[in-house]
Amino acid sequence: MNHRTFFAGALSIVALSIAAPAFAADVKLLETGSSLVYPLMNIWVKAYAPKAPSVQITTESTGSGAGISQAIAGVAQIGASDAYVSDAQMAKSPMMNIPLAISAQQINYNIPEIGTAHLELSGQVLAGIYDGSITMWNDEKIKSLNKDVAAKLPAKTIIPIRRSDGSGDTFIFSQYLSDTTPSWKNGPGFGTSISWPAVQNEVGANGNPGMIAACKGAPYSIAYIGISFIDQTNAAGLGYAKLQNKDGVFVLPTEQTIKAAAKALTDKTPTDERISLIDAPGKNAYPIINYEYAIVNPKQSNAETATALRNFLTWTISKRDGNQARFLDQVHFIALPESIAAKSDEQIDKIR
Amino acid sequence: MTKSGRRRRRRDLALAGITGTAAAITAAAVFLIAAFLVVSALPAIRFNGADFFRSLTWNSGNQYGSGTLVRHGVTGLPGASFGILVFVFGTLASSILAMLIATPVAILVAIALVYRVPRRAQLVTNALVELMAGVPSVVYGLWGVIVLVPFIGNVIGPFVTERLGFIPVLGGSAGSGNGLFASGLLLAIMILPIMAATMRDLLDTVERDTIEASIALGATFWQTVTSVAIPAVRVGFIGAALLALGRAFGETMAVLMVSGSALNQLPQNLFAPINTMAASIVSQLDSALTDASGLSVASLAEIALVLFAMTLAVNVVARLIVRANGGSRITQ
Repeated sequence: MNHRTFFAGALSIVALSIAAPAFAADVKLLETGSSLVYPLMNIWVKAYAPKAPSVQITTESTGSGAGISQAIAGVAQIGASDAYVSDAQMAKSPMMNIPLAISAQQINYNIPEIGTAHLELSGQVLAGIYDGSITMWNDEKIKSLNKDVAAKLPAKTIIPIRRSDGSGDTFIFSQYLSDTTPSWKNGPGFGTSISWPAVQNEVGANGNPGMIAACKGAPYSIAYIGISFIDQTNAAGLGYAKLQNKDGVFVLPTEQTIKAAAKALTDKTPTDERISLIDAPGKNAYPIINYEYAIVNPKQSNAETATALRNFLTWTISKRDGNQARFLDQVHFIALPESIAAKSDEQIDKIR
Repeated sequence: MTKSGRRRRRRDLALAGITGTAAAITAAAVFLIAAFLVVSALPAIRFNGADFFRSLTWNSGNQYGSGTLVRHGVTGLPGASFGILVFVFGTLASSILAMLIATPVAILVAIALVYRVPRRAQLVTNALVELMAGVPSVVYGLWGVIVLVPFIGNVIGPFVTERLGFIPVLGGSAGSGNGLFASGLLLAIMILPIMAATMRDLLDTVERDTIEASIALGATFWQTVTSVAIPAVRVGFIGAALLALGRAFGETMAVLMVSGSALNQLPQNLFAPINTMAASIVSQLDSALTDASGLSVASLAEIALVLFAMTLAVNVVARLIVRANGGSRITQ
């Protein structure tokens, strides 16, 4: 290699490295919010990147509240949230709530005597545990739901574990308690963080990993944990419960029961798609499921950003692309039913 | 004046200007933080009034409910009530517990470092103490979650509550291990190096001649330490402990991870969950951001304001005491 070709080569590399980033990052999108959605977003962004090389998507795990507020503030184009935006906040800043996928929640417990056998629990019993009216594992109300293992339920104090940080899991769990138990509805109510009743021994834990660590570390504890973490909760040796649904049947969170619940509420989903999927009717429906939302401002700062955003979101909810099993299975999410994907598409098309 | 002298003088003036500006920026930063906190907290200060310090209930209100709650001319969500008694108590209790555990240990460590470790080895031991002070708090927190909390919940808690349960604060439920004791113990480990390093520096200021004179008079080593060395720097030791207390007040991450994040209740015993002011700001922030009334964030700013004032007060007092008593080098 003579000096001239070396020089020319070096020059072209320099020129390329200057030109390439400017060329590759015509449009920048920022996704921030839900820590539950974050792993899926990373999977999606990686798979989507070759399809739109001029769009650079950055993902962040900050929490649903931060996702909503940063989407409203215009800092992020996509705010990922496990909860839809409240009426009060919609009145102040109207945002699109676009479901991307469906998630569910398991109720886990650490009872050495029971192990990984599935206890049967109802919303009223869970509300009793979390409001302090049921304090022992051998309480009659728990025993009567679990006749098979009633003798094994120990005379031990229950340690209820809840999230200390704002969380979509708290949102759907407290929604289940509100929907099934009037005293809970009129008391603590539901939200991403609520004013928990004072229960002795109750522990607040930070994030789903914190919930798993706390539940694993404290025998006779109970916790609510996102279904995405089922591999970790199984590895930690925690049991998970069959929950009583609206029809009075106790069901485990499986692909079939989550799909059945989603299907039952597809027709009820309004065009703005802000709806609770909790306590769906149907024998086979699992009661704690939710849409994972992209919170998006319908008016983006410019046309290029809006186009890139529409293209990406359309891709994520398409059955042939983002919503196919090989992506969703990795985080134990369920694909959107077709009619919901259509409604999401309608919303996405209106982003300008 | 010669030409070079004038140039030197000009250079001195420039340097004085630069350093003066830097110092002014630092002072302005403290002032600006305080001003920012006051402005952000203003709606909450009006809404909460004195209940802020009197109430046990922290409820940001029902975000998904309808209607509003107006108090003192400020609009909040229905059911909103911001009381920080639980957080203030948890901050004070865990920090004071940490100080009670760490102070005697720190005094012994400082004595050992100054009088018992050979001069040559002191380089290593001093570096170790400073290294301990430099470990990020989340590392202590992680160790707390994985090792300390299960150990307290499964071993220490049940043992103490069963054997020593007749003592008021030690009886009752052993809980899960998350709580006041775990927070206090973790904080003690975290403030120990700062305290020990400051006390070491204070002991170093005691003249070797005085120590040798005491020993020459027939005093034993312990008599010398307790009657000569420590009395000479006693006030400084109090300052060192206060300095560490200031750090314990503000410690956030590690405490958040092991405190059990209690809400709406005071701890029933040593092992019950608590919450602190710093930790509650972190844990409540995400949901506060979606409070359309903005009052949740303002109330968190009000907590920050109180914490800021508390920490500043403790730090100023501590530094005055340490400085007045010859502490030369103060860690952090």
